[in-house]
Amino acid sequence: MVQFFLESERVTELVTHLKGQKPVFAPHRKGRKSFAFERVEDAADVVLDYPRVMHSIRKFFLPPRETLMTFDLAENDFSTADVQPSDAIFFGVHSYDLGAVHRLDYNLGKGHPEKNYITRRQGAVFVGVSFEPDAYHFCGSVGIDPMDTSGFDIFLTKLLDGYIVEALTEVGEQLLNGLDLPAHEAGKPARGNFQQHIYLPQAKLNEVMAKSYDNPVWAETAEKCVGCGTCNLVCPTCYCFNVEDTVNIQATGGTRDRHWDGCMLREFTGVAGGEVFREHLADRQRHRVFRKFKYISDETGQPWCVGCGRCTAYCTAGISIVNIVNRLVGDYEKVAVTPI
Amino acid sequence: MNQFQMASPTEARDLYSPVMAVISKVEKMTELENLYTVVLPDGAELGHKPGQFIELSIFGVGEAPFSISSSPTHRGEFELGIRRVGMLTEVLNRMEVGQKVGIRGPFGNGIDIEQFKGRDVLIVAGGIGLVPMRSIINYVIDNPDDFGKLHIVYGSRTDEDLLFTEELARWEADPKIDYHVTVDRGSLDWKGKTGVITTLIPGLELDLEKTVCCVCGPPIMYRFALLALKSKGLPERNIFMSLERRMKCGVGKCGHCQINSTYVCQDGPVYHYPDIKSLQEAL
Repeated sequence: MVQFFLESERVTELVTHLKGQKPVFAPHRKGRKSFAFERVEDAADVVLDYPRVMHSIRKFFLPPRETLMTFDLAENDFSTADVQPSDAIFFGVHSYDLGAVHRLDYNLGKGHPEKNYITRRQGAVFVGVSFEPDAYHFCGSVGIDPMDTSGFDIFLTKLLDGYIVEALTEVGEQLLNGLDLPAHEAGKPARGNFQQHIYLPQAKLNEVMAKSYDNPVWAETAEKCVGCGTCNLVCPTCYCFNVEDTVNIQATGGTRDRHWDGCMLREFTGVAGGEVFREHLADRQRHRVFRKFKYISDETGQPWCVGCGRCTAYCTAGISIVNIVNRLVGDYEKVAVTPI
Repeated sequence: MNQFQMASPTEARDLYSPVMAVISKVEKMTELENLYTVVLPDGAELGHKPGQFIELSIFGVGEAPFSISSSPTHRGEFELGIRRVGMLTEVLNRMEVGQKVGIRGPFGNGIDIEQFKGRDVLIVAGGIGLVPMRSIINYVIDNPDDFGKLHIVYGSRTDEDLLFTEELARWEADPKIDYHVTVDRGSLDWKGKTGVITTLIPGLELDLEKTVCCVCGPPIMYRFALLALKSKGLPERNIFMSLERRMKCGVGKCGHCQINSTYVCQDGPVYHYPDIKSLQEAL
């Protein structure tokens, strides 16, 4: 694989080159510490050195809110919303966020493949960028390296004064055509160290989780948790949704929309008549963590958490998923070594 | 490389568009419950199995899951027994014969008919739990050669809450059906038994090995019904239960109906008891 060198000053030139071929979505600075993926209007606005965007690129394939159909109340009829392939370049994606998209591919494609999601996934090109782990990243513990190029069409590895550019697919090669870049010969730098770790790999976590249903950590976490659902909202592998009808102000018609929902919210399991099947926050915390490390993991062998650190970084109550999992690991090992 | 292969666009389906079906009959069963008869376009068959459910929607109000109350042996239309308990069912209650509602489905597994064939069938239904169980009961009644004895155990809050009263009278009069009913609180006119549903189970005359049982009722009922069935000596492998959860999609995507690792809309709503007895959230 040929590697090229891109000086930091030439990132704008690369974005402009790509933007001439397909729409480009990339991280933009939104505040002192916050970043968001947005469509690039001015290539100079693109930020490649960022810790994480609040909402991953999931939002382009499974939008926070989307219209499934438009209905006419007089006719009592409907038309299904037209969904288009994204057919765009997602530039500056971190490896854990692409890992999350791959997991959504599994969930929304499995059993009953969903047209809306799968259509939007068509034509998506991914340009990755390496990153320096911050105080929240722990993707190394779930098998995702900051310099992992797999699944990307093009990957940029950060150097002190620029980036190593690799075209990893034919699509990636073609997109780089016409850009005059010098070859990079010197190899790749060592990656930065993680400050956060889960102490065991998923293969062992399966055993740990199987013994953790009644661990006191759920109730203890619930004492801090306020049930706001932020962790669900920012998680790149969460895909649960609710469906609601909205009537227009003329009351002639409206839309049936779906929007992201979260298992940490009380109403999530509520049914007509008032029954709530996961009434306690402890039950909901367990469900959230088991969704990431047990239920789908037992099926696929893979953690369904990608170690982005968002649920911890944005938690309104200071709850850390790494601390929860490590507590389960610690309690499991304590039991395991207790002499009879 | 994507380690989790994505389905191709040609395999992808529009999962959420309903077909518009006509309400052909509405029968008031109790103060809160109606029986709606629904006909699909061109009289198409719903093609369901006993125990399955559909998603019914009214534009501008929303969509919710409902058990199918009629047996697939009842052709050309299907029935939904619906309690008026939320906004959608309140609006449905005000609709008239001839109006249309959106239908998606059938969804869920329904009962495994092969497991039931040649067996005695015991139905334990509490309150509105009779609605889905009726699809099984009538299936068994309509296919007498495929099944042994039919036992029906039905409990209701009061005698005024009893559903399908004409059918109940027929089941009671049918010498081939072992029918038992009780109410928690009877009115002055009530001549039958009073007490919770579990009081009916000890007195049943069951061929324990030959009998398969299906339980459906309010959440509180399952544990007590299970205890009664187990102390009666019914093997766990002969017990099935139909569970209720919130559902928005019916196709295993929206996440609401998940019980531990299982999705009720995919693996349920009818579960084989040994499969869910280790799932703490199930009951």
